[in-house]
Amino acid sequence: MAIDYKKELEAAAKSMILVHEPDVLIRMVVRMIVQKVEVKHAGILLHQKEQDTYILTVSRGTAGLKIPAGFARIDADNALILFFKEHKDKELFDDGMLVLEEAKKLLEKDISAQLKELLEQALYQMEIFESVACIPSYFRDELLAILILGSKENGEKFAQDELDFFAALASDVAMAIRNAQLFTELELELDKKQKLFIHTTIALSAAIDAKDHYTRGHTARVTNLSLEIAKRFLQKNKKELDIKFLEDVNIAGLLHDIGKIGIPESILNKQGPLNEEEKKCMHEHTLIGVTILQPIRELDQAILGVKYHHERYDGAGYPEGLKGEQIPLIALIISAADAFDAMITDRPYRRALSKKEAMEEIKRGSGGQFDPEVASLLLELYQEGRI
Amino acid sequence: MPKLLIVDDELDVREFAANFFRKRKVEVTTAVGGEEALSILDNFKPELVLLDIKMQGINGIETLKRIREKDKDLKVIMVTGKKPDEDGSLNICQQLGVLDYIHKPLELAELERVVMGALK
Repeated sequence: MAIDYKKELEAAAKSMILVHEPDVLIRMVVRMIVQKVEVKHAGILLHQKEQDTYILTVSRGTAGLKIPAGFARIDADNALILFFKEHKDKELFDDGMLVLEEAKKLLEKDISAQLKELLEQALYQMEIFESVACIPSYFRDELLAILILGSKENGEKFAQDELDFFAALASDVAMAIRNAQLFTELELELDKKQKLFIHTTIALSAAIDAKDHYTRGHTARVTNLSLEIAKRFLQKNKKELDIKFLEDVNIAGLLHDIGKIGIPESILNKQGPLNEEEKKCMHEHTLIGVTILQPIRELDQAILGVKYHHERYDGAGYPEGLKGEQIPLIALIISAADAFDAMITDRPYRRALSKKEAMEEIKRGSGGQFDPEVASLLLELYQEGRI
Repeated sequence: MPKLLIVDDELDVREFAANFFRKRKVEVTTAVGGEEALSILDNFKPELVLLDIKMQGINGIETLKRIREKDKDLKVIMVTGKKPDEDGSLNICQQLGVLDYIHKPLELAELERVVMGALK
């Protein structure tokens, strides 16, 4: 039965979009050629930039013909490579590929001695690979890969639609390799940006610690503890590791008190309990934090943690008096971590509690100030000696 | 016909290399490792041994040493994935007298030239 190459190609293109690893994709392409077109063997020579050499990375087909992966290479000065580099404008052959029979016909014609020599050497290399057709993959001017094809099982010549099929696959391969390269570069770039962002956030959070003498190191500790609780929550609820959630918790932890930048130092550093008016002013720091961070759209989830980290499970917190499940999880986590760390550090008006005493307080506040699930996670971490 | 013994623990390599040289009118026998190679030598009497260095069991260098105990003059070409200076094996091979030393991934044209040249 004849194969509908257009359909095969469409199917291939669809699955290729999903593959970021060029190695996986190339294996797919080679397998497809061997299976669908029934060639004796097929392989791909892939350009290795660092050594400027082409390595046969994938090969499939009949035993004895397929070349073991990583066994063979050809260097950049090999005639086959030179031929494709010098003749990529397809002036010699319609589709830019080297088909043994067509090339032999060309050798009979009146061509320059130089071209004749190059072509003969390229054909010799094809013979060594037992290849009857070689299809180059370019991206712009760069020769990224060469598809090496053996003869068909039934001994027939390749039909035009088969050659077209190979040409399309080769160009898809080039695009995929290029995309994968871009993807890797982009990831590196993103990683750099992400690091820059986190470091900026840490610098910002240091500004709060510098202003509020009594909370030195508090921000880092709350962040770490919040992350521990968040990870445990994901584990317990059998959720996949939700990187985005953990990133949000990290940022929210670092910035939960950022609004204190807008609170007078006389209140922040007051020796003794705050009066009602001072308390009211102090409570403003949650909403000031939101005002500061709001322009950064990407922080929408982290901002929820900043805004509501003084809400209480029983509804008696601020700024909105949210209750139970109305309070976002991220805020419930920051709230418990924040309260726990405050208890175990000295404050102007009281001495620090021991961790054991603080844990008793957390237990007592479970269902009141604290979300019962978050409180029990905190207790678990304590019992395991993780905090 | 000239005789070639190919020693490699990788099936694909043995099959490919054997087919490659049979087509070039060479009588080929393959061995999966050093021990098998040594047991084949006396009967097969190859003119040349293509010997992989990194193998399970007795490796290529050890096999070469044992070949030299039997036959000081047998032509041997070593094949390796390592750069020569990485483990000093090139030096050892040279002391034991090898014809050549080829790295994977290799140029098949070079393999053909070296092996066919040695078999002439």
